[in-house]
Amino acid sequence: MTTVFILISLVFGAYLVAVIEDWALTGRFRLTAPVFSALALLGRESVLPRKLDRVFFEVAPVLLLLSAVLAVAVVPLSPDLIITDLATGALFINAALVYVLVALLMAGWGPDGAYAMIGGWRFLGQLIAYAMLIVMPLTAVVMRAESMLTTEIVVSQAGLWNIVYQPVGFVLFFIAAMALAFLPPFDLPTSKGDLAGGVEAEYSGVRLAVFRLGRLVLIITLAAATVIFYLGGWQGPWLPPWAWSAIKILVVTAVMLLGGRMLPRIREAHLLSWCWIFGIPLALLNIFLVGVLVLVFP
Amino acid sequence: MITGARLGTLTGFRRLIASAMSHDLNVFLVPGPDIARAQGLDIESSGLQPVASPRHANVLLVMGPVTPALQEATAVIYAQMVRPRSLFVLGAQDLSSLPAADVEAELSQQGLIEGVNRLRRVFSESAFRPSISDFDVPILQIRIEYTCSMHPEIVQDEPGSCPRCGMFLIPREVQSMAEHRHMNHQKINTDAEIPVTFTHNHGDHQHDASMEYTCPMHPDVVQNEPGSCPRCGMNLEPRESQTESDHDHHHMDHADQGNMNMDHDDMGFMSMIDVTKDLPRSEDGLPMEWIDAPFGPFFPGLPGGLLLLLTLDGDAVARSETHCLSENTELVQSPSMEPPNFIERLTCVNPLSPIAYRLLACRALEHAAGIDISAETARARIGALERERIASHLGWLALFAQQTGFDWLMRRAASLQLKFLTAEFQQIKVLKPSVLALIKRLQQTPLLKSRTANIGQLMADIVSYGPVARAAGIDNDARNDDKICVALGFTAVKQIRNDVLARLQVRLDEITHTLMLIEAADAVVVPVSNTVGKISSSGEARVETPRGMAHLQLTLENGQVMTAQLDAPSTYHLNLINPMIDQQELGDALMAVNSLDLSPWEVLQ
Repeated sequence: MTTVFILISLVFGAYLVAVIEDWALTGRFRLTAPVFSALALLGRESVLPRKLDRVFFEVAPVLLLLSAVLAVAVVPLSPDLIITDLATGALFINAALVYVLVALLMAGWGPDGAYAMIGGWRFLGQLIAYAMLIVMPLTAVVMRAESMLTTEIVVSQAGLWNIVYQPVGFVLFFIAAMALAFLPPFDLPTSKGDLAGGVEAEYSGVRLAVFRLGRLVLIITLAAATVIFYLGGWQGPWLPPWAWSAIKILVVTAVMLLGGRMLPRIREAHLLSWCWIFGIPLALLNIFLVGVLVLVFP
Repeated sequence: MITGARLGTLTGFRRLIASAMSHDLNVFLVPGPDIARAQGLDIESSGLQPVASPRHANVLLVMGPVTPALQEATAVIYAQMVRPRSLFVLGAQDLSSLPAADVEAELSQQGLIEGVNRLRRVFSESAFRPSISDFDVPILQIRIEYTCSMHPEIVQDEPGSCPRCGMFLIPREVQSMAEHRHMNHQKINTDAEIPVTFTHNHGDHQHDASMEYTCPMHPDVVQNEPGSCPRCGMNLEPRESQTESDHDHHHMDHADQGNMNMDHDDMGFMSMIDVTKDLPRSEDGLPMEWIDAPFGPFFPGLPGGLLLLLTLDGDAVARSETHCLSENTELVQSPSMEPPNFIERLTCVNPLSPIAYRLLACRALEHAAGIDISAETARARIGALERERIASHLGWLALFAQQTGFDWLMRRAASLQLKFLTAEFQQIKVLKPSVLALIKRLQQTPLLKSRTANIGQLMADIVSYGPVARAAGIDNDARNDDKICVALGFTAVKQIRNDVLARLQVRLDEITHTLMLIEAADAVVVPVSNTVGKISSSGEARVETPRGMAHLQLTLENGQVMTAQLDAPSTYHLNLINPMIDQQELGDALMAVNSLDLSPWEVLQ
């Protein structure tokens, strides 16, 4: 029952994200646009490129969707509303989302096209930049909660949300999450202006619909992870817990989607060097500070 | 009905999908969004959503001039779109390589909106049809040719074995179109900079004293005469035996060691080291697969009509070729033209800056006829020219923003450009604050400086014009010689950094400065021709177009334009591309090309 409820809310969430993204892109708030787009994509042909790697090409969109949905399994929308409260929950989100890289690489390799392939390579480089900045801030979050259970992590923020307790970690995680979801300004693999869509360029019809759905779900998953780790999860006054989760997730999603359109796309070389030169030392500093705080005020 | 319908009968569920499609029209623009904006078309407000890849589009919108070469490229784009697809043509066009247009309308915003409404109807009625016809044109056909993996210069149409080494030839696909392009169009190439061993014509060097012969499989077998290998019997290959090959070896240390190992083992099969040893190496010495990829002629982040053929080593540009598929050929349609027709002709040469070219034609004719225009008219013309400069720079900003994914800037600059295109003098004053606000906002945008600094740097001794030159500190602005312009307070805006950031800065500063000039000019009037008598003379004129100084020379006979010669800045700027993007990362390279603000339309053959 919980699973069904969460999956339904996930689909509804994907719809809302699509509406927000359409609003961010066109400046118009149209509730019907994503429905029309999805139906139209289903009605179009889904052609196979010539000389494709069939397995990679077919599996990639499904894998992207699956890895995002898998990560949702450990996301609690309220104390009881969680598919499975794994003892390694925080780590599991990270583990499931590693397949995003695999999916994009496969989507890049599969169609045997230059734009897609370069997009895939770019994301491989991007992983090297963001991967540590997902795990290291998570370490500090887990240190405070003294547990990897996502529910415990939410409970640990009852007094003070982690966004205040460890703001450096929040900023790093938020940026890394945007890079993981290849949202602008980190949309290097799917860049329209210099790769004509990159890894998305050769997909059409149903396969493109699955790919785009996967991307929307991935955005929700990462927004939900941000809410659990830093924004106190379901906690909040007056409203029921699930409503707080939903509101917070949507707000984070909107910030993620709207922020990128005010910036030019980042250079891959800069992303890598900044993440390693500034990001990782800051993440270490964050772990150290949280360690001191945990020891001094247990 | 639409010719690109999808196979199937229109039943319940399909009817629903077809009506959804009619509300979700994704458009691929030919020749490009820059041309659409320059012609005053606001694509998005008409309900069409532009997309970057033809695979994601269901509408192909052709607007504006389409040369024969562009027509072929358009046919390829149409073939890449998935069904149901439709062809929407604005303005009368000769499009013989494409199926009949599904919707035609006049080239204006009104026509666009009206066309989109018809397109929606057509889609909901006939997206699915019980029978469909194939779209097949000769240029899409793919030819198979056969080549030897060891000797890439051996290419033949039929299977067989290599005359050099006897190996079986490998089939490979070639598009007939690529060949066609190479034959017909101006080509700018810097292959010569990179030593490509396999392009040497060995036949010419047969009796050269410096030639020696070696077996491709056994490099230790070397002799001074042709013959066959004592180990494997293969034909020996000629190679040059001078210091040049030593030079190569410094770059290929790994390959050398590999070769040595192989010699001792005396293996009888082909190794990767052998296969790749003659291939060109990238500067970093890291061998990666080289891929050839076309960028253009309708690439989302590049000016429409410009085709870059890049050979990419990983994601760095190893070689590049530039083609303009939108070239105009004859300025004067034979045998001669009436002056008013000539002015109209020149107005259409470059759709990205029609007024500057119109002014160029008027000034050249007036110079030939010895007509003096009043200072007031001259000022009003400067007003129109400068208004176009603002619109053109805003258009460039929109394209730059599209390429860099800077969505907000793209929308803002594009909407301001559309307003400036036709703005009267009073409206320009009203628009001024929003333009200045845009510029101020841009200067505060994080990441923008770091994204553009030190990219696209040019050599010091280049020939360049316009903002590209002024970003390098070179002041060859034609307005310096225009007394009226100087009297209005004109001074050239300069930068010295000579990179994309400097070009961006120069254009932004020019917009600010130009707004001041228009206010000083106090009027905006598009130039019109004065009557030229039945004279025989020659004349010339210079105009600082938004892209740099254009120069026109013409001769008149009996009041008819006989010959005309145009010297446009983009012709020179095309030559800057290859050295500028060599070994640059792809994104940087495309941004550098974009920063030149090329107009392929003004490049004449």
